[in-house]
Order: sequence, then structure tokens, then C-alpha cells
Amino acid sequence: MIMRSGQQLLLPANPLFIWASLIAALLLNMLPLGRVPWMPDFMALVLVFWNVHQPLRVGIGLAFMFGLGMDVHQSSLLGQHALSYTALSFFATMIHRRLLWFSVPSQALQVLPLFAVAHGVELIIRLIGGGTFPGWIILLAPLVESLLWPVVSVLLLVPQRRAPNPDENRPL
Amino acid sequence: MPLGTLDRSPPPFFKQGPSALSKLMFFSALALFLMVADTRFRVTQPIRATLATALYPVQWLALQPVRAVQGSAAYFMGLDQANSSSEQASKKLALQSLRAGQVEQLLQENSRLRKLLGLREQLAASVMAAEVLYDAADPYTRKIIIDKGLLQSVELGSPVLDESGVLGQVTRVHPLVSEVTLVIDRELAIPVLNVRTGARSVAYGDPSAAASGSGLELRFMGSNSDVQVGDLLTTSGVDGVYPPGLPVAKISKIERRAESAFAKIYCTPQALVTGARHVMVVTPISGRIAPRPEAAEAVIAPKKGAAK
Repeated sequence: MIMRSGQQLLLPANPLFIWASLIAALLLNMLPLGRVPWMPDFMALVLVFWNVHQPLRVGIGLAFMFGLGMDVHQSSLLGQHALSYTALSFFATMIHRRLLWFSVPSQALQVLPLFAVAHGVELIIRLIGGGTFPGWIILLAPLVESLLWPVVSVLLLVPQRRAPNPDENRPL
Repeated sequence: MPLGTLDRSPPPFFKQGPSALSKLMFFSALALFLMVADTRFRVTQPIRATLATALYPVQWLALQPVRAVQGSAAYFMGLDQANSSSEQASKKLALQSLRAGQVEQLLQENSRLRKLLGLREQLAASVMAAEVLYDAADPYTRKIIIDKGLLQSVELGSPVLDESGVLGQVTRVHPLVSEVTLVIDRELAIPVLNVRTGARSVAYGDPSAAASGSGLELRFMGSNSDVQVGDLLTTSGVDGVYPPGLPVAKISKIERRAESAFAKIYCTPQALVTGARHVMVVTPISGRIAPRPEAAEAVIAPKKGAAK
């Protein structure tokens, strides 16, 4: 692996933590907050994050399975989220070598089209399937998701940024 | 940290598994197949039921914080609300007591008259109370999830009511929960009866108008038909699903247009379609109504020219 200049060498990711973060994202998505079209899709965000950072551990298959779970939870068309997460995960895998060379704000800008594509796929499928148009406010969803990218980047990398040999000055 | 856990082994060079593109193709095809199977062939119910049961603990966990917030808010506002609602309830009770007193007598009279006229007995529906777990977050439909399912013997197609009217219909039954499509969903239609005139028609869901307070639409009513703003629409009972006489909606706006033969009639649902907490699931009356008469065989007159 080529070292990026000016970046900290990270500890290996704990698979348990990856799974815990995915389940936590699922929980956040399942919070019964009503029908809000611009609600960011935390599941998509965390999936893209791990797809970019750990492409060998979290891949397209896992994204598909979580998509099916979201479909059943939202009682939407079965396969709608699965398809959009599959596409999302594919594009994330495509850009994962390039993305991490950029600073976090420009990473957020680069993942914006990914989220837009994911929401676009869902919108097109549902409008073909005879759903109600939820209003233009749905355009806000990918924007909010990419604004959350820096937050997620900090939060999910915290365990990997711990000191490798903790002492009393660096307890964590 | 032991060195063994470090992820510093190089990725496999040759054995990389299927490429990302082939995985994308495979899973997209699978998703498309599932969508078609879901909408056209309706064979995906076992998959849904299995996944729903597997997801139930996570859903339950996600419900807890919201429940806690609601519970504490209700606790702090409880006394005032309880006082005012009990006052309202007693007022309502006083208003209804006269009618309630007459109901017994009217029921008796009605049954006697029905016997006299040789009509069928009116069906009494069996009901089950349920609690609304959450609004389905899908912004393209209008559905809610209730906490009774196959294990509590909820039937597919059961009407769902709240205290003020028809809320919707059970459209999917999972083992522990079921999904109710609301009356304002685009896919739902209810046969209704205008109480004032006795005219039957069908009310369709119209979620795009739901923001302005209405949410149902009476279609195919002639622009000269006798409807007025404020007319109450109840279930007509001709569908064999909804018991007759349940309030569905009130007409809120009528647009009569010169260019169209039909009036555009907006109705406001009577049930609390956005905030119902406790609902009743009614067993559909379809099992108990008389079977359809068999269709008489179509008589096709032989063509005159065919004999020649």
C-alpha cells in the first residue's frame, strides 16, 4: 500500500466494529420519524464509507442484502433499495483507489454524484411502478448525505486512529 | 497490539473472485427479478415475511427511543390533557346519550322490520385492537405498520378503522406485524355511499392533495350530480370487504368544470390518517356474505351471414 503524505498510519479495522456501525446505521434508518423525503439514508452513507475504506470486507453482496432489509422495513417495492445500494456500492468500489487521496471536503464533493445516482434509481423505479411523486424536496437527500460524509469519516475512523501502544499520556 | 491482527498482508494477486462489474450485473439482475416478482407475480411474500421476522428485533430496538420520548412528553403534559380530554369526552357523551338511548330501541325495531320484509340480518363484524408501530418511511406510498400479524390471525384485506372512521386496509400480513395501506394511498379505492342522497360511488386515494387537507377523490361523478360540500360518505358495503355504514370521508371541495363532463370532488378522510395510534382491525365480511350468483351463460346470436 502506498503511503499518503501527511496522513496518519491507521490501525487495522476491526470487523466487529464494521458490523456494529452497519447495524447502527440500519437502526438510524429504522427510527420511526415519519415520512420525510429528504431524510438522509444513513445505511447508504456507511456502506459507501466501508466500501471505500475496506473494499475487501464490505462489498456489493453485503450492500444488496442490507438493501433488501431496508425494502422490507419500509414495505417499499422489494428490490428497490437493493438495486440502488448495489449501484452505489459498485461506483464506490470504482472510485475507492482515487477517493482517499483527496482531502475530506473534496471527498464529500466526489461522493455527491454517487448518492444522487442512488436516489435517482429509486425515484425512477418507483415512478415507473406507479408511486406518488414525493416532491422536489427529495433532491435534498443526496446533498445532506454528502454533507454528512466528513462527520462519518471522523466518527468511523476513530477506533483506527487510536494510539497503537497506549500509555498514561495516551490512554486510548 | 499483537502483530498477527495487522492487516498488512498483500491482497491476493490472481484469485480476486468475480469482478465488480460482474457482481453489479448479477445483483442488479437479481434486484430487477425481485421487483418484477413483487409487482407482477406476487410470489415474494415468503421472502418478505422471513426478512421481516429477522428484522423485528432491530425494529423493536429502533422504536424504543421514540417511544421513550413520546412517553415522557405524554407524562409531563398528561394531567392537563387528561383533564381537557375528559371534559370533552363527557360533553360528547352527553350529546350522544340521547342517541345511545335510542339505539337499542332502533336496533330492535330494525331487526323486526327486517324480518317483516324478509331481508337478511345485518352482519356484526368481529374486531381486534392493534397499535400503530410506525409510518412506513417509503415516500412513494402511504402505509403504516401495525403490531398484529399472522400469529394474531390478521386476515389479508381486513379493513382497519380508528375511532372516527375507515383508516385503510391490510395489504400484507407478516408473522408479527402487518402493513396497512391508508385510504389516501393512490392504489386504494373504497366503495362509498353518500348518506344524504344515497348515491353510491367509489372514492380513490389522492395523496398529492393530502397536503391541502383532502386526500380522497370521488371520480366519475357527473358535473350535474347531486353532491354538496359537507356530505358524509360512508362505506356502502357492496364490496363484501368493508362493513356498511362506517364513515370514510366528508366532501370538502367541488370543482365543476365546463370542459369536463365530470366534476372534480375532493374529500377529507374522517380517520386520523397522519396520527392514529390505536386502530381496530375488522374481519372482512367477504366470508359471510352470500356467494355470487353464477354467471348465466352468454348467449351469442349466430351471425346471420355465417349460415350462407
